[in-house]
Amino acid sequence: MNFEQFQNQARLFVIGALDEEEVSEFEKARRKFGQKAEDFITKCYSLSEAFALSLKPAKASDQIKARLMEMVRDRKKA
Amino acid sequence: MRSRKRLSKAEQESETPERLSTSVPELEPGAPTDLELMAGIQAEDPEALSKLYDRYNGIIKALILRVIHNEAEADDLLQEIFMEIWNQAKNFSAQKGKPLGWMVTLARRRAIDGLRKKQAYARAEERLQQETEQQPDAWVHNATEEEIAIGDTRVLIRRVISVLPPAQQQAIELAFFRGMSQREIAANTNTPLGTVKTRLELGLKKIYDGLKELRDEL
Repeated sequence: MNFEQFQNQARLFVIGALDEEEVSEFEKARRKFGQKAEDFITKCYSLSEAFALSLKPAKASDQIKARLMEMVRDRKKA
Repeated sequence: MRSRKRLSKAEQESETPERLSTSVPELEPGAPTDLELMAGIQAEDPEALSKLYDRYNGIIKALILRVIHNEAEADDLLQEIFMEIWNQAKNFSAQKGKPLGWMVTLARRRAIDGLRKKQAYARAEERLQQETEQQPDAWVHNATEEEIAIGDTRVLIRRVISVLPPAQQQAIELAFFRGMSQREIAANTNTPLGTVKTRLELGLKKIYDGLKELRDEL
């Protein structure tokens, strides 16, 4: 796998679209390209962020935050 | 984080994916950055989680809703996901990406797991099939004229996405928001596997390139 092919696979990887049999090849290439590969994968996560940011924000129930914070405080006390 | 750039109507009309320059949620002067909030959560400060929730609950809930299409379940999952953010914060590393990317990855995985665990997958697939038939390019059609008039991150990102052919958008939507493998996409859309792979690769590369100028701020 050359680096351009790795880049294509990395974009699929970050959105969870690599098939199982492709993952081992991808991981092998990831080790081969080392830090350069890691840097590119990090940049690819902007795709995930962009897909989430492309959606119109949805309003959550007001009770959710209250319940969440109560759980967090209980967890801290425990 | 830089402040959001508001676009004039003329700028919006002349905006092309190559000239994108805006940012994610605007911060008040002196407000903690996402990284500072993550550091606070790692130090078990509930106030940091509270602020991160206020900043991102709308985006994360929209993502969950897009996956599971159920308001009550989405609220429950939202709570679970922010609890997981609290519990897993120690695993976050700024060297491997930004807090939003980490949260989106975590939320997407939980939403897709939730969908499958609740055995609602088949029902959601039926709904998806109907939605796909009605709106093959949902990303494009979901933007109303009113929304397009607002020069914000969402609209600019959608513009980048909207230059893709509908088949590429659909393949990416099925992969990202439905968690489908390439084989599942091929089966669901009666498309050869090789075509699905090509659509995903080309579509993602175009979006990635279109987002290049946004990347530092996203």
